Amino acid sequence: MTHATATANMMHPPAPAEPGSGVYSNKLGMWIFLASDVMFFTALIGSYIILRFGMSEPWAAPGAVLNVPLTGINTFLLICSSVSMVKAYAAIVDGKKYFLRPVPGRLLRDGGLKFWMLVTIICGAMFVGVQVVEYFKLVQHGLTPAGFREGSHFAEVALADPAKYGAATAGLFGSTFFTMTGFHGFHVTCGVVSMLYLYFTKVLPEKYSPQDYRGIETIGLYWHFVDLVWIILFTIVYLI
Amino acid sequence: MTSVAHAKPGAHDAHHAPMSFWRKYIFSTDHKIIGIQFLFVSLFFLLLGGLLAMQIRWQLGFPGKPMPGGGILPEAMTSGGVILPEYYIQLVTMHGTFMVFFAIMPLLMGVYANFLIPLKIGTHDMAFPRLNMWSFWLAFTAGLIMVAGFFVPDGAARAGWTMYAPLSARPDLSGATYGQLVWCVSIVVLGLSSVLGSVNYITTVINHRAPGMTWFRLPLSVWAIFITAILAVLALPVLQGAAILLLFDQTIGTHFFDPIAGGQALLWQHLFWFFGHPEVYILILPAMGMVSDIIANGSRKPIFGYHSMVFAIVGIAFLGWIVWGHHMFMSGMNPTLGSTFMVSTLLISVPSAIKVFNWLGTMWRGNLKFTVPMLNAVAFVSMFTIGGLSGVFMAATPVDMHIHDTYFIVAHLHYVLFGGSLFALFAAIPYWYPKMFGRMMSEAIGKWHFWLTFITYNLVFFPMHILGMNGEMRRLYDPTQYEFLKPQQPLREFITIAAFSLFAVQILFFFNFLWSLKRGKKAELNPWQDNGLEWSLPSPAPHGNWDRPPNVYRGPYEFSAPEAGNADFLPQHVKLPTDRDPAAATAPAPAPAH
Amino acid sequence: MTTEHVRPNYILIWGYLFVLTVIEVAAAFLSHIPKHWLIIILVILAVVKALLVAIYFMHLKFERWRLRLIFIIPLPLAAILVLATITEKIW
Repeated sequence: MTHATATANMMHPPAPAEPGSGVYSNKLGMWIFLASDVMFFTALIGSYIILRFGMSEPWAAPGAVLNVPLTGINTFLLICSSVSMVKAYAAIVDGKKYFLRPVPGRLLRDGGLKFWMLVTIICGAMFVGVQVVEYFKLVQHGLTPAGFREGSHFAEVALADPAKYGAATAGLFGSTFFTMTGFHGFHVTCGVVSMLYLYFTKVLPEKYSPQDYRGIETIGLYWHFVDLVWIILFTIVYLI
Repeated sequence: MTSVAHAKPGAHDAHHAPMSFWRKYIFSTDHKIIGIQFLFVSLFFLLLGGLLAMQIRWQLGFPGKPMPGGGILPEAMTSGGVILPEYYIQLVTMHGTFMVFFAIMPLLMGVYANFLIPLKIGTHDMAFPRLNMWSFWLAFTAGLIMVAGFFVPDGAARAGWTMYAPLSARPDLSGATYGQLVWCVSIVVLGLSSVLGSVNYITTVINHRAPGMTWFRLPLSVWAIFITAILAVLALPVLQGAAILLLFDQTIGTHFFDPIAGGQALLWQHLFWFFGHPEVYILILPAMGMVSDIIANGSRKPIFGYHSMVFAIVGIAFLGWIVWGHHMFMSGMNPTLGSTFMVSTLLISVPSAIKVFNWLGTMWRGNLKFTVPMLNAVAFVSMFTIGGLSGVFMAATPVDMHIHDTYFIVAHLHYVLFGGSLFALFAAIPYWYPKMFGRMMSEAIGKWHFWLTFITYNLVFFPMHILGMNGEMRRLYDPTQYEFLKPQQPLREFITIAAFSLFAVQILFFFNFLWSLKRGKKAELNPWQDNGLEWSLPSPAPHGNWDRPPNVYRGPYEFSAPEAGNADFLPQHVKLPTDRDPAAATAPAPAPAH
Repeated sequence: MTTEHVRPNYILIWGYLFVLTVIEVAAAFLSHIPKHWLIIILVILAVVKALLVAIYFMHLKFERWRLRLIFIIPLPLAAILVLATITEKIW
């Protein structure tokens, strides 16, 4: 069985067989895994909603404790990485395995799979980087998973304006903030590592083709999901 | 019979270079080897869970007396051989944990989902063989971590297998400095194993069925396992999330479940039981599926009401998501919410009852062959019915107020898990043993094991209904401290003696299992004269199963079909002159996906 | 049946996402809107953004409904869990 014919049918569900889902197994498997991941984030985010709803004392106001503008830019960065991911997918569907190629009559060169994947990885890594820096700053100023640290900056300002800084709910604020964003960050990191692995083992050696780009589509789905969860998280953690 | 289809078994083997012992048996990606790995490890945990139960029964039957062999345990557990309360609650917790998570669930899913799915749907292996291997090793690691709980300072987890907060979140309250933490870590790892395994099972059943194996030609064992995998993929992550929140409460000072800091203790219960109720259906549905296959085979009749059986499985799975509150009637939860759970719980008895009637309908006027699998399968039906009936009592909230957290509940759960799932496993293990190992388990020993188990098991668990009705609480170290429970001591002692006998009888099973590996009668291709695709392969089934997938021409329960002529069964892959080839079989065949 | 696979304009979707994000962040700081309305507006904006990603980037628009079902099924389950547990604090 030559390599060519072996890859010829990879994008279609295994045959001969019953029609099944109509999509190849890697993609189906990833969708099912994403459904399970929805339930995982439900436990975390749902707990946050339940706990916050159950508190009669005020929660910290948006922007009081967390750096909303910076995270807004970070959100935009993650969205950009989602766009570059789907551009990478479109590139390989069109067979553009290259990095950059000049296009006659256009100022900007045309990006291929290698370019757009790299952009995605860099944006994803930067997102994690900004989050890590934000964590450091928050801990430094006194936000811990257990609440405001004694004698810290946040503890002091919370004494002055308890309603704005959610002094009475600081314990839960810290608990839920670090858990939800931490596990999201963990998911992003896993995504970046996976993409790096694929980049070096499959993308650079040009192993993907329009006949077989399963890995790109599969990791793309994961990456878009991670972005989607962040869109929800950003709104309910930073803005509400 | 008729032509052997061009599905030549075993030729796939030739594609591989000879594999080392490690790649072939330890780090195997072959679903059958992985299933067998799960089998050995899970049987070990079943034994371990049983040993813990024996110690629990010692304390209840002979409170305050030194346990034989108790001297070998450390002073923290037994003082002069007498089981200490701190150890007793560890026993109760870990018995439940090991039995649910490391014995029954992996025996049903890790073993039979893995072993049966590719064989019964007619494909080479799972959709993701390497992921399958990871599933096993993650489960194995989780098991090791859980066992380690006994060896960490201050011992194992002890807040019950349900780990209610805040007791489980506060080491200063429970006394378990590291044990509870170990439990949480183990569960998160096990959850990942289950989720990855379930992704594999679902994808394989959807995408890799052989030509002609339409949805309504799938055996009920495959249907049940498929639906169970969907439950697992959606329920386990919630437990993982909850366990992580608990872990954080225990270690980094968060306050999710601590009411003093704004957390909610009931949040844990809701999260846990939202997972926990689908979990119990995960623990029974595959058993029901396998029992359906075995009963149809043993009755030499098609399963009665195949379609309604499928819809009942789907109905149970669907309703199973909205009944979780019935575990919490006495928790102080919102009473209105409790009422809705009462209604949904009463409703869910209906599809289960449909299944029981269908099993009876299958056996009715059948040509019954009481082999060991059939005996155990029929026992499943009756014992599960008893367990289900006691469940109807608990579903009614006013009744549950009286019997919640008593031995009535313990009786119920053991009737469905032991009388149900475990008897189903006692049926399934000898049934598919020939396909796993190429030999038959001894029928004679199997029959002795069955009858002795059936009798002693009922002597152990039926009286627990009485104990519970009289108010005896579960997880209680010393019932004799209460005046109203003292008169029940003779009954407790009786149960303990019966339990020791029950445990001793299992030696027969384990001996039969191990001895038959080498000394069992060599198995023919189709010793049970069954219709499933797996019985067209040699015993044991070869690596890669078929060279090319077989064609499927009919459903799996064509017993006593007129078309079969003199035989009383008609396998799924056998082509009669009146059959046409399935459409997908005419498509060009690609290389088998590796 | 899948719809004809006309490739969506990813840059256009990116534009929508950018605008929606800016609106969201701005809205969060408009303190004169009553809290209830603010929450509803923000949640709707977030859901719209999430749907844009799911439908166009994850190509759900072009997949058959059975695949969309895989993503849809967990959502009511999540809602049931959260809503049921919230009632604990209401009574």
